[in-house]
Amino acid sequence: MKRQFTWLDKTIIAFAGFFFIAPLIAAAEYSARGYGNKGHTLSNYSWIIHQLGFSPALWTSLRIAAITILIVLVLMVPTVVYVHLGGRKYRRLVEILCLLPIVIPVVSLAIGAQVAMPKSLQSTSYELCFFYVVVAMPYVYRTLDIGLQSVSLSTLVEASHSLGANWIKTLLMVIIPAIRSSTTGALFITFALSLGEYTLAVLLHFHTFPTWATNASQQNIYGSIAISVTTLGGAWILLILVAFLPRIKSLFARKERVA
Amino acid sequence: MVIADELAAPTRLMGGSGSSRPKFKFDKSILGLLPLFLFLGYFLLYPIASIISASIHDNKHHLTFVLYKNLFTGNYREAFIGSFKLAFYSMIVSGILGALICWSVVKTSGVVRTITSSAAGVLANTGGVPLAFMFIAAFGQEGLITKLLLKVFHWDLYGGSFDLYNFWGILLVYCFFQIPLMVIIFTPALENLRVEWIEANESLGGSKLQYFRHVLIPVLLPSFFSACLLLFASAFSAFATAAAMSNGSIPLAPLFIGNLVNGNVIPDQANQGDAMAMGMIIVSLFVIAAYLLLLRVTRKR
Repeated sequence: MKRQFTWLDKTIIAFAGFFFIAPLIAAAEYSARGYGNKGHTLSNYSWIIHQLGFSPALWTSLRIAAITILIVLVLMVPTVVYVHLGGRKYRRLVEILCLLPIVIPVVSLAIGAQVAMPKSLQSTSYELCFFYVVVAMPYVYRTLDIGLQSVSLSTLVEASHSLGANWIKTLLMVIIPAIRSSTTGALFITFALSLGEYTLAVLLHFHTFPTWATNASQQNIYGSIAISVTTLGGAWILLILVAFLPRIKSLFARKERVA
Repeated sequence: MVIADELAAPTRLMGGSGSSRPKFKFDKSILGLLPLFLFLGYFLLYPIASIISASIHDNKHHLTFVLYKNLFTGNYREAFIGSFKLAFYSMIVSGILGALICWSVVKTSGVVRTITSSAAGVLANTGGVPLAFMFIAAFGQEGLITKLLLKVFHWDLYGGSFDLYNFWGILLVYCFFQIPLMVIIFTPALENLRVEWIEANESLGGSKLQYFRHVLIPVLLPSFFSACLLLFASAFSAFATAAAMSNGSIPLAPLFIGNLVNGNVIPDQANQGDAMAMGMIIVSLFVIAAYLLLLRVTRKR
């Protein structure tokens, strides 16, 4: 599908680009200001790293993200595969269940967690992992569902079984590689969500990277803007890299073939 | 068509089974979904059930609906109206602007497409607190954009009623994650437009305006509205940005709940936060129900 790309489209994109990039540039400029508006330095960026609590907070967030990803892998991938293979009749049910978290505002979920979860779980920050899985579920389900629709799953499974593989082997070595791009997509969403989530973390009184950044901002506004610029810019660059990865790979593949 | 099939199915079964009584049979294949059921049951439904239970009891554990009645009075009412207003305005502005940008973006390809779609993904998902700080830096009293506007256009941003920390300031910030969200949600609808429809319109002698009125609008309107409903739900329940931007200066339902959770509670109404959380769930239930209905309309075609 290609419609004509007119000057009007170019203007719209240019305006939109300006509208979205200008604040980022302005923030980057602000974050590089020295104290008392004296020149520009990068000291605010080094300030981040030397700040008390920076590495523990980042480390907590990374651990939470890793465990969240693990739960998503163990819970969601087999379930969606199962729905596609044997439980076709449950497809509507699972779809509705997995989209349910969209309906529940995260603030409400936080209150519910506070009321319902046992004290032993509420005392560790790993509580967040489970709720991040819930929050990420709609996106994860969609991504995996689309990925599985594009492969002929039953053929793959039959082939794998007739070659003597059991279910776990089939799942790990046939199905997941077959839907690699959508699995990576789902995991990437989960990772980004668990690193950046603020609402649950702050309402349940845990110290993760985003809550630390907000607290730190009360001491040094330049530093906190440096953190924001790093977060947004870093996430953007990472996403672009992920998007370009297949292309870079195919470039290498072509080179190999030539050689 | 599908519904008709589903309705027909049981009668066919009944007819075939003859005299044997329809017996309830446990279908073992549902056991494969047990992990999902258990997980969602414990981490989603159980917390919600607890909120419901707490919201209809006062702190002497007597059954009462007064907490829900409170939602329609005083500060609670104001908070809900504030959230409604913010969600509605940001839905209108971001819906229209986002659809326009989307219209141009889907025509691009290659590098431009990758950069725009990844930017939309970042802004829509990781927005929140960093976005708020970015705005404070750019549009604040000392911000580069504020200074530039004053120097180049002689426009004093703070001369009028603008303030980054009042309603309009927050609306501006919300647009920065709502517009990208619209671009993401609305792209599939635009990608499904066929070039053949333009050609058919031309070969039938239709003008551009007729194409717009008789093809584009009827095809796109349901998806546009359903996308707008998602925008409403997203703005209505957003917490992080508002919490970082306003220190409680604007009445918003999520902020109010946040305050209640953090212990700023009137002692004899410990469960008021639960009632408020339920109020938010009910509002977004309605919005999402409307969204699903509209989605069904779009899928039927």
